[in-house]
Amino acid sequence: MIRNVGRLLKKTKEKKSSVQNNYQDSKPADALDANFSLNVETLRSVYDNCSDVMFRSFLLFGKTRAMLIYIAGLSDIEAIEQYVLSPLMQESSKEPQPLNEFIEHKMPVPKVVKVNMLADCIESISTGNPILLYEGESDGFSLGLSKWEKRAIEEPMAEGGVRGSREGFIESLEVNTSQLRRIIKSPALKIQSMKIGTYTRTNVSIAYIDGLADKTLIEEITTRLERIKIDGILESEYIEEMIEDNPYSPFPQIMTTERPDVACSCLLEGRAVILVEGTPFTLIAPISFFSLIQSQEDYAQRFLAGTFIRWLRYFFMGLSLLLPSLYVAILTFHHEAVPTALLLSSAASREAVPFPAIVEALAMEITFEALREAGVRLPKQVGSAVSIVGALVIGQASVQAGLVSAPMVIVVAITGIASFMMPRYIAGIAFRMLRFPMMLLAGTLGLLGIMMGIIAIVIHLCSLRSFGVPYLTPLAPLKGQELKDVLWRAPWWKMDTRPRLTGDSNVYRQSSEQGPNPKRGSETE
Amino acid sequence: MKSVLLLLGISGTTPFLSGCWDRIEITDLAIVTAAAIDKNDNDQIELSVQVFIPSSISSGGGGQGGGSSQGGGAVTTLVRYEKGSNISDALSKLQSKLPRKVFWGHCKIFVFGEKLAKEGIREQLDFLLRHPQPREKANVYVSKGKAKPILESLPPLENYSGEVLRELSDLHIGMLVTMQDLDEMLTGIPQAAALPFVKILPPEKGQTKLQGIPYIAGTAVFKKDKMTGMMTEKETRGLLWLRDEVESYTVTIKPKGVKGEISLSPVSAKVKIIPQIINEKWRLSVKVITDGAVIQNGTNLNLSNPKSLNAAERAYQKDIEKRIKMAFLNTQHKKADILGLGKDFYRKYPKQFNKVDNHWDEIFAEMEVEVDVAAHIRRQGYINKPAGLSEEEVKDK
Repeated sequence: MIRNVGRLLKKTKEKKSSVQNNYQDSKPADALDANFSLNVETLRSVYDNCSDVMFRSFLLFGKTRAMLIYIAGLSDIEAIEQYVLSPLMQESSKEPQPLNEFIEHKMPVPKVVKVNMLADCIESISTGNPILLYEGESDGFSLGLSKWEKRAIEEPMAEGGVRGSREGFIESLEVNTSQLRRIIKSPALKIQSMKIGTYTRTNVSIAYIDGLADKTLIEEITTRLERIKIDGILESEYIEEMIEDNPYSPFPQIMTTERPDVACSCLLEGRAVILVEGTPFTLIAPISFFSLIQSQEDYAQRFLAGTFIRWLRYFFMGLSLLLPSLYVAILTFHHEAVPTALLLSSAASREAVPFPAIVEALAMEITFEALREAGVRLPKQVGSAVSIVGALVIGQASVQAGLVSAPMVIVVAITGIASFMMPRYIAGIAFRMLRFPMMLLAGTLGLLGIMMGIIAIVIHLCSLRSFGVPYLTPLAPLKGQELKDVLWRAPWWKMDTRPRLTGDSNVYRQSSEQGPNPKRGSETE
Repeated sequence: MKSVLLLLGISGTTPFLSGCWDRIEITDLAIVTAAAIDKNDNDQIELSVQVFIPSSISSGGGGQGGGSSQGGGAVTTLVRYEKGSNISDALSKLQSKLPRKVFWGHCKIFVFGEKLAKEGIREQLDFLLRHPQPREKANVYVSKGKAKPILESLPPLENYSGEVLRELSDLHIGMLVTMQDLDEMLTGIPQAAALPFVKILPPEKGQTKLQGIPYIAGTAVFKKDKMTGMMTEKETRGLLWLRDEVESYTVTIKPKGVKGEISLSPVSAKVKIIPQIINEKWRLSVKVITDGAVIQNGTNLNLSNPKSLNAAERAYQKDIEKRIKMAFLNTQHKKADILGLGKDFYRKYPKQFNKVDNHWDEIFAEMEVEVDVAAHIRRQGYINKPAGLSEEEVKDK
């Protein structure tokens, strides 16, 4: 029997590998022909049944046959009219010689690139840069006139804040990189690009600061990205899952953000940012567990406030994982562990409840998760219906009907609030998911079970790595210097060193001893 | 992958393990809030337990909607009792009369009946100390007469009578003895113990018969495990001074040569007990340093005047000295070293003590005591001069 299972497993493995082999990156490798009509013919056949691709044929200076190919809606029609077609179609003027020189150097177009491969032509057309072909020239010219509709820069939806920049990333990669560049003006900010996805040909950029980020880290990220062979990238999550260190962990090992200021602060710490076309969520690597619990606002308010809120967050992080299970464990195993008055009142409230505590807790938590999910996915117009029904049904009616005890509703509510206190939504989800096995453990083994669960989680966290950086740095391995950004939020004049990730790069981020004092600026001790 | 599978595996299989053997829902528990142990005339043990009735204070739940009782004499507990040859026997019989499992974890009050106390509590104490559930921090009392009525009383102010006793003990007006203390007292060399003695305050006119509350009315003195005598409330106060457990009560003194009384409340009291052996004579020196605050001045003394203050302080000092001596003489009279002086002597004079430890009681009974009180009145309250007297009436000098 066991052998059979083994054989079956092997079979599926073989199948998988064959699937992998079947994958082909279908990219035409031909060069453009010297014959103009042949090239046009080839392109026409490539773009067969693509009604949005425009083939504009015209005569260069009234003599030479030429063809401008672009996609409607991706290129700047006005600019094509004004700077390409109208100067090139002047019949009266003398044809400049050589023609390619004129196009490359004398046309008022921001970017002109010579392309001689068919694949590059297609690439250029697909990204919105029109291709100009004309008779007697074996190369095509890609004109940098792409322009398409995009969303305006708005406030990030998933990462709000009271103080700090209100700009968020948008779906356009160019705008996103420009936002980074607007904050970090140094030429040391490097942005490398590549295209991933056979069909989507999605632009993916790796941004890092030369001299701060470890070279090997960038190499590693690049190789991991290059390994990806997929038909399309629609969201940065596709990439995240394909380059993570431990893909089966509930904890994310790559952080996502839609805030340029967060991305830049990570760049300044020597991390790399991966930007993906088509999504406002950029990836940041390497990170540690504590990066997920830090919010940009910790740094945008007074350090005492930042520290206080950070500890509040740590506390509620624990609650979001443990509160329901602690409640269940105490109610079913450790009745003596609570003050008498509390036990008596919870005994009184549970008197009419028909379910065991564990069933009650699981049911309520699942209902809450359902409510949350429904609230996220619902059209805005009916959103209020969910909250009303939720508040009435799981809040009041269930208690009044005697199906659920009032303390349990309080526990679920506190847990819900606690899980939303995580500044990174994905990290909050990890804790929300782990809550359920913890509750089962609590319901079967009591506090012992909870302890076992915690130990298992801690061991797992210790084993995780994010691009080689231990997940629990700076706590394990202990790095005293870096605790300044974990145990508290050190005031800015004390944040002298960068967190040490991989490699030894530029350690000091500012000159030390900048603590302000009431002396006048020029006075020194 | 492995770790996730492992985690899922562990949490998935645990329900099938025997992990839940001691799992018990709170609704299946009979939460004992107080227990009374009596001995009847047939030499049988009677165990009574006061069990909390959860539905009695449930509010909102069960669709009754906010019908919470205000504790005003409402029945929140029930008392069941059963006879047996010892506690565990009685308990096993008692369990057959209770639909829920008896849970001792929150029982903070144990009351021994007078008869049982006089005949020895050791046997029954063993159960309470051996069983894992009863708390060693639980308070232990001796009742006048049978202990069961104490559980049955329905106090108007607290939810149940056990709570009344616990709160009263926390005020430190009488002795506060936990099970652990009792165990230590009985196993120590003096083999004497003191437990608070409780009576039932008769209900006021118009109140139902059960609405009397238990209160602490002195101290029961034990030699070995048998109750041999009683100390009155006043003597108990002295005992508390000796045990350095004085807290929040009032000393009323009568200074010499003036009419009226002054009431003081000790703010701080430091009591030092110094065992001495001088010329083969065992004696005890008690040093007390106490500060008091005036809370009522019924005399015409102006306490801001050092002379009057001195007079008052002297009276204060005398009073405390008297209290302590009285309590000490009482314990000597009973030959019960409930202060645990044997331990103090043993620590200081181990060799001499070892020679006499078989007749320590007699040495204790003949011991001399010297009480040295330094009493001061540090706070006079908001007003200096007695209220309601004209300037001339106040005795200034």
